[in-house]
Amino acid sequence: MEHAATDLFSALEHSAWGATIRQSVWLYPFANIGHVVALVLFAGALAVMDLRLLGAFAATRPADVVGPARTAALVAFLLMVLTGSVLFTAEASHLAANPVFQLKVALIALGLLNVLAFQTVAARSLRALPAGARLPTAARATAMVSLALWLAVAACGRSIAYF
Amino acid sequence: MTSRLLVAAALVALAAPAVAHHGWGSYDAARPITVSGPIVSSRFENPHATVTVRTPERVWTVTLAPTSRMTNRGATADMIAVGKTMSAFGYPSTAQQGEMRAERITVDGKTIEMR
Repeated sequence: MEHAATDLFSALEHSAWGATIRQSVWLYPFANIGHVVALVLFAGALAVMDLRLLGAFAATRPADVVGPARTAALVAFLLMVLTGSVLFTAEASHLAANPVFQLKVALIALGLLNVLAFQTVAARSLRALPAGARLPTAARATAMVSLALWLAVAACGRSIAYF
Repeated sequence: MTSRLLVAAALVALAAPAVAHHGWGSYDAARPITVSGPIVSSRFENPHATVTVRTPERVWTVTLAPTSRMTNRGATADMIAVGKTMSAFGYPSTAQQGEMRAERITVDGKTIEMR
């Protein structure tokens, strides 16, 4: 199983697409910069959303802030996946074996599970909440987990090149 | 709320891996080496150009700079082509035997800094 996965990443790296990414003058730097710019958008939207769920911006209705911020975060996340897949393909076999990259992927999986948890236990309770209302514990808890996980993901991303 | 944010920050600090390393962390800067010989393979690719250089002792994999920086400084793909003779000053990898990261290279009598 592990062998098959290693072969798969090696095949991806040595594919024509992998070679194109590495040999193009602009493709890799474009994806590299795009990944960071998307992160800035993602982290900004995420912070607005999670801080609202933790009680900040209390003069607003939670749903009015959380909804648009989530949309922005989702768009930024998709941009990160797109640019990240380009960066990954260029060095797939090395990255797949990198412990910090593995940690990052695991944390992303936890982050997405947390989105699911928010969706299941907290999202519904926010809809009718007026400005200034105390946030449900479930909403606060998922927001705190979200901030911690995604900032840790960002820290891992920056650390991959150093391990 | 402030205390909750502090807890969140502490969690992040714990989850973040140690940042003691720097960009050249897995290279032994205390043991600089010079590797000289013919280039036997050459990849002018992102994220880093690499060549392999044959010395009497072994074949070294020499990690160079990103291609954009190489090009800006005159180290083109033609300059580091197979068959040229390169002298690379740099640091051996502590993670991979026979790999080094070049601080500067000399080819065709031209010395080019890699960072």
